[in-house]
Amino acid sequence: MKSKHLSFLFLVCSAAIASGCTSLGVKPWQRDVLAREEMQLGADPVDAAIDDHMYFSKEASSGGRSFAGGGCGCN
Amino acid sequence: MQLKPKAPRPTPANARRRLIAASCALLGAAARSQQANVAPADSGLLEDWSVDSALAYYHEDGRILAIEPVVNLAKVFADGQSLNFNGTFDSLSGSSPNGALTSHTAQTFASPSGKAKHAYTTAPGQLPVDPNYQDTRIAVGGNWTLPFTRVDQLSVGAKVSDEHDFFSVTVNASIAHDFNEKNTTLSFGISNEFDSLSPIGGAPVPGSDYALSQKNAGKTKDGVGALIGVTQVMTRNWLTEFNVSVDRFKGYLNDPYKITSIIDSAGNTTGYEFESRPDQRTRKSAYWENRVGWNQQLSTALSLRYMTDDWGVRSDTAQLHLRWTLSNRDRYIEPTLRWYRQTAADFYTPFILSATVPTTGFESSDSRLGAFHALTYGLKYAQKLPGLGSRAESEFSVRAEYYQQTFNERIATPAALQGLDLYPGLKAILVQVGWRF
Amino acid sequence: MAGKASNAPDEALRVEVRGENLLAVCFTAMASPCETLLSSTVDAAALELGTLVAQEAWRVEKKFSRYRNDSVTAWIHENRGTRIEVDEETASLIDFASQCFDLSDGLFDITSGVLRYAWKFDGSDRIPEAAAIRHLLPLVGFEKLEWQSPRLLLPAGMELDFGGIGKEYAVDRAYDLLAARRSAPFLVNFGGDLRANRSPSHGPWQVGIERPDTDRTAKMILDLEHGALATSGDSRRYLLKDGVRYGHILDPRTGWPVWHAPRSVTVAASSCTEAGLLSTLALLHGARAREYLEEQGVRYWLLQ
Repeated sequence: MKSKHLSFLFLVCSAAIASGCTSLGVKPWQRDVLAREEMQLGADPVDAAIDDHMYFSKEASSGGRSFAGGGCGCN
Repeated sequence: MQLKPKAPRPTPANARRRLIAASCALLGAAARSQQANVAPADSGLLEDWSVDSALAYYHEDGRILAIEPVVNLAKVFADGQSLNFNGTFDSLSGSSPNGALTSHTAQTFASPSGKAKHAYTTAPGQLPVDPNYQDTRIAVGGNWTLPFTRVDQLSVGAKVSDEHDFFSVTVNASIAHDFNEKNTTLSFGISNEFDSLSPIGGAPVPGSDYALSQKNAGKTKDGVGALIGVTQVMTRNWLTEFNVSVDRFKGYLNDPYKITSIIDSAGNTTGYEFESRPDQRTRKSAYWENRVGWNQQLSTALSLRYMTDDWGVRSDTAQLHLRWTLSNRDRYIEPTLRWYRQTAADFYTPFILSATVPTTGFESSDSRLGAFHALTYGLKYAQKLPGLGSRAESEFSVRAEYYQQTFNERIATPAALQGLDLYPGLKAILVQVGWRF
Repeated sequence: MAGKASNAPDEALRVEVRGENLLAVCFTAMASPCETLLSSTVDAAALELGTLVAQEAWRVEKKFSRYRNDSVTAWIHENRGTRIEVDEETASLIDFASQCFDLSDGLFDITSGVLRYAWKFDGSDRIPEAAAIRHLLPLVGFEKLEWQSPRLLLPAGMELDFGGIGKEYAVDRAYDLLAARRSAPFLVNFGGDLRANRSPSHGPWQVGIERPDTDRTAKMILDLEHGALATSGDSRRYLLKDGVRYGHILDPRTGWPVWHAPRSVTVAASSCTEAGLLSTLALLHGARAREYLEEQGVRYWLLQ
């Protein structure tokens, strides 16, 4: 199962490189998996905010997923 | 940028595969709403605010203890506009490292407040920490998203954060465009942050002698940031996002409470000076996130980040969330693993040798600018419960994380300091309960 | 759902022994004889699972029947002309119907039910006036309703009818309920639309498909290991005028019956919903039914 998924990933990656974005993607009615709550970017905004705050105050990096900066005097 | 592609109307052709997909989508949706209610939905449902709240408890071993309640309110309007408000209250207490080096002798420090009763002494062999550290922070923010065509949306937001010695206002705006049947989203955003610092006892002159206590009144810093992102639906169960961003901060970028020990060649602390960081910093980062739904039960979110700045810090971050949905879809567990590594800023130094003059003119002993790697292990358990009133469901969750920093780059130290733990690292736990309804 | 104008489904269950290690739990739903076949010798266990299936069938019937005044369908009809918000299950069915409409070029249309007011398929020769059809046609067309899940605006005069997909959907729902609880062989059959998880130990399921308008007792026997079968046909409902047979399959774009539609089409697919849709679409393709099915590359049985 695992190796099947991996080769599948590899196939899709090559497809992406070969033909660019427009051939990727799904039809609107194929969004059943993508519609799941856990498949949303930023699915857990509160968890992410708490983690980001912790890392912002303890590390030299911030941002990436969204803007850097923290609006916090802690760093 | 977090944008959810939506479904436009399809065009007809090659029906077979589409029929299979449509049937699967229908039955998949049916499986999700296992016990779908017979009663027609309350038409006011969408008009309600959804609430995501949490209470976090953060504890750093022997140091800081923080309690942080967070609430996030979101509302989607019928025309597609959405509003989002969030509020955070932070209460910190405990002790915070002041940047001075562990020493074989006791060290006495004046409090930043200048009050004699707040002066503190650190025992030999102990990391100097200010035991009177206490802070509360209130932050509120809002975000408004407005779709202005079927495929374009504008989002504006603002955030205000207030502490007794720090005040910050951030505004941001972004625009997103969908194409390729909403499988691709391009977005561009800018952000602007204005901070004003009013440290207790004043803002020290960077690099000045601690004993002289040369301080100015409040200082400011501000930052601008820009971010370009692409979100792409790769396959039916794979979504990817790639962002690049740059931000530039200017102004008083020092931590006003951090000092650096000056030691002689014998390893004796002869004095301290306030840290001195450059007055501007430019950071660039690349971020790549992949969400894959492997099957009905298992999905993963893997994110990779590379960041570099002109202070000499480079960092790599990899984070994996694994969500395992348990049999009847009303519970899930989510193990998390995060690995982080950063190089030290060029001017990072745990101490200054009195014989040498820092070549850059900048120095900081702030461990957050040192070279270290960090690991986070986390586990979350969530349980879906019946909703309140007209709501379909609510979710209760508990989450715990263990965070550990290990310093990996060591600077040659005078023999006299051997045997002292100059890089104590950091261990922290986070426990959080969440309630979403 | 094709159903009688009865507000209380006949909620009776009957366990029958169909062979060694094979029990059937029978009931009536959606105006059809329904059964759950189970590899089991224990009446109580079979009855428990059969009850689950029956309750799901009755639930779907009750929820979507256009003949009941407490159904979601009735509620939608009561709220014509206003924006309403439907529950998730209804929304997923409308989404599905919307996709079927799009990819069949408007051939499959859950708003076509109003044409019933003109066409009474009672075996008589009462062909409606062309004017009556023309009068009804403006009320047909899925593209006329405003649908952005879960918000719906059904214009005045229009109707939604989930009858074309409801029974097959109910089979799949019931199948999922059983599959989550049982790995031993079973088959869910709602009036000829059916789905099985796997073959019983003694060999594949023997499925009898009624041959329309020939001898009722003559059945075509198919072997099914697993998967779904659905049959669509106009066997018993038609009008006859001047020797021309008007079948009950109406083209929603013209309001008139599809010409030269097969009498019956049975399609095999992995889910009953998919099989049902393919068989319905095949019928709607009229004389091109066989060609259509060949294009789709499915297993099918067609009776002209």
